[in-house]
Amino acid sequence: MSAEAVRQPAAAPIVDVRNVRKVYRRDAEQITVLDGINLQVPPGEFVALMGPSGSGKTTLLNLIAGIDRPTSGEVVVAGTDVGRLSESELARWRSHNVGFIFQFYNLIPVLTAQENVELPLLLTSLSKKERRERALTALKVVGLADRAGHYPRQLSGGQEQRVAIARAFVADPGVLVADEPTGDLDAKSAEEILALMESLNRDFGKTIVMVTHDPRAAERAHTQKHLEKGVLKA
Amino acid sequence: MRFLPYILKHLRRNWVRTGSTILGMAVCIFLFCTLRTVLKAMDDARELGNVTRLVTRHSVSLVYNLPLSYEGQIAQVPGVKRVAISSWFGGSLPAKKESQDKSKEGQPDFSNFFTNLAVEDEPYFAMHPEFSVPPGEMQAFREDLRGCIIGRGLARQYGWKVGDNFFLESFIPPYRRREGPFEFVVRGIFDADKVREPAADDRVMYFHYKYLYESTGRRVGAGLYVVELEDPKQAATVARAIDARFENSEAETKSETEAAFRADFIAMIGNLALLLNSIGLAVIFTILLVTANTMSMAVRERRTEIAVLKTLGFSSRQVMGLILAEALTIGVLGGGLGLALSVAIIRGMTKVPGVSGFINGFPNFGLHWGVSSQGLGIALFLGLAAGFMPALVAYRSRITEMLRQV
Ligand SMILES: Nc1ncnc2c1ncn2[C@@H]1O[C@H](COP(=O)(O)OP(=O)(O)OP(=O)(O)O)[C@@H](O)[C@H]1O
Ligand SMILES: [Mg+2]
Repeated sequence: MSAEAVRQPAAAPIVDVRNVRKVYRRDAEQITVLDGINLQVPPGEFVALMGPSGSGKTTLLNLIAGIDRPTSGEVVVAGTDVGRLSESELARWRSHNVGFIFQFYNLIPVLTAQENVELPLLLTSLSKKERRERALTALKVVGLADRAGHYPRQLSGGQEQRVAIARAFVADPGVLVADEPTGDLDAKSAEEILALMESLNRDFGKTIVMVTHDPRAAERAHTQKHLEKGVLKA
Repeated sequence: MRFLPYILKHLRRNWVRTGSTILGMAVCIFLFCTLRTVLKAMDDARELGNVTRLVTRHSVSLVYNLPLSYEGQIAQVPGVKRVAISSWFGGSLPAKKESQDKSKEGQPDFSNFFTNLAVEDEPYFAMHPEFSVPPGEMQAFREDLRGCIIGRGLARQYGWKVGDNFFLESFIPPYRRREGPFEFVVRGIFDADKVREPAADDRVMYFHYKYLYESTGRRVGAGLYVVELEDPKQAATVARAIDARFENSEAETKSETEAAFRADFIAMIGNLALLLNSIGLAVIFTILLVTANTMSMAVRERRTEIAVLKTLGFSSRQVMGLILAEALTIGVLGGGLGLALSVAIIRGMTKVPGVSGFINGFPNFGLHWGVSSQGLGIALFLGLAAGFMPALVAYRSRITEMLRQV
């Protein structure tokens, strides 16, 4: 988690979306959601992705996160062409390279905050003790060390999202993607989440791509991109 | 193994559902193991068992008696050493004195039920050396028409001593008298040598066939004939020869070893084997459905969770493994509990009066390794089968689609 290593402005983009199309087929009908998207995000950047509902923001984010594949074009993230990986390679790749933050937190209800954060570490070779420690450290970063033993239903929405953020970065991926991370929160909690994301970007050098509807949230990012009718606008 | 706590947490958090599924599974395995054990014992009995004696009975059903004239004819069959009448009296103690009143007639008290047999004492006890009676008591029994000999177990159960008397009333109409129940006097108490003959039951009462015959107007036949063989190796030949002799007669016979007879007797009580088998199958099938439904419910509720796990980098195979492992855990726990239950019940059965007499007659009755591993196998199979569809769904599901359906 060193900040300096990734703060090289001239470095090659860590997220490189080249000429990507995404077409959904529903029966005979074809819906072109993304139509020739190009997006380069340098390491350490904080990008806000905006656009009307149904414009394909989530679709693009899923492609970057490697949980979906483009119909054509290339998505290169952290030096890997995501489209070329097999299903299981892609899963492995995700566990090392991207952290995903959902609008509805998606914590696992039967696990405590700490166990939720620990989940991605189960896929590493870390020992039980190391996993515990790292999960606790991540919870400290999001300011919830004292809630480690709480279950999701015992936490507020904002707290749940902070746990979810801890889970997203605990395995130390270079890229964090967030799909409307403040969409379900009140203003105060949203503010806390945005501050946390800024800190992850500034202090830990995480590259962040965040989808949001909220102009105030978008202002916290370094750059804003607008998606409209399948095409990106600055 | 590092995923085990994760699996257990899921099972524990839904403990009501987990518990009921495990219990259902356990009942299923318990029924299976217990039924298999009883049925296997009955099958074994047909093949093994004491072959120094045969039992000859009516070929149609135990309900019908055989003519008394058969006794002499059976005795003439080559290889037969001795023949003795043995009729199952079906008597029970009247619960109270009032139960002898007219309104209760035909309703014997089955809670006080024990085996009571009307036998021809000389040949019967001569061919049953496993029963030992003090010579003086045997003599007293022979001299008293209403005398009876009871097993040590029965004596203990009812607190009877030599010289005590009691009444028995049969539920079989031809064995009932207008004068009321039969009166008996305990003349002897026998001990059963279970080493010599594991089937030997000491919760039985024997009385004179002559008493039954004369008190019922000299019309009743013989319930069955116990036949002693000169050579155990000839059991099959002699049995065939006896049955051949009465072929095409008014009462055809069926001769078999005592153990096989016991198995048939149990089977007769409600055609047990078929009944048990079909109940067992129905139960297993029902539980499979219930468990499968529970498991798929559990997975449907966890669509998002599965998507999240996959997003975090769990492979499809790992997620499928988690679901299957959860199902298997239920299978193992349910199967184990079911096995434990049947071990307990099967052990207990050998101690229940009435039942134990038959069961002890079965060669090595008990939960066999084969049956228990079959039971456990079924539990694992049920678990896997129930978990299979949900696991497949988890394996195939695409993250984007599952997240979309929140
Ligand atoms: N699996 C799919 N099959 C068919 N159409 C789909 C599928 N996934 C998405 N779409 C369509 O693609 C379009 C873009 O969807 P997407 O979820 O990316 O929009 P979005 O910009 O995230 O919208 P919102 O702001 O409402 O979240 C929508 O019209 C949607 O109906
Ligand atoms: Mg969206």
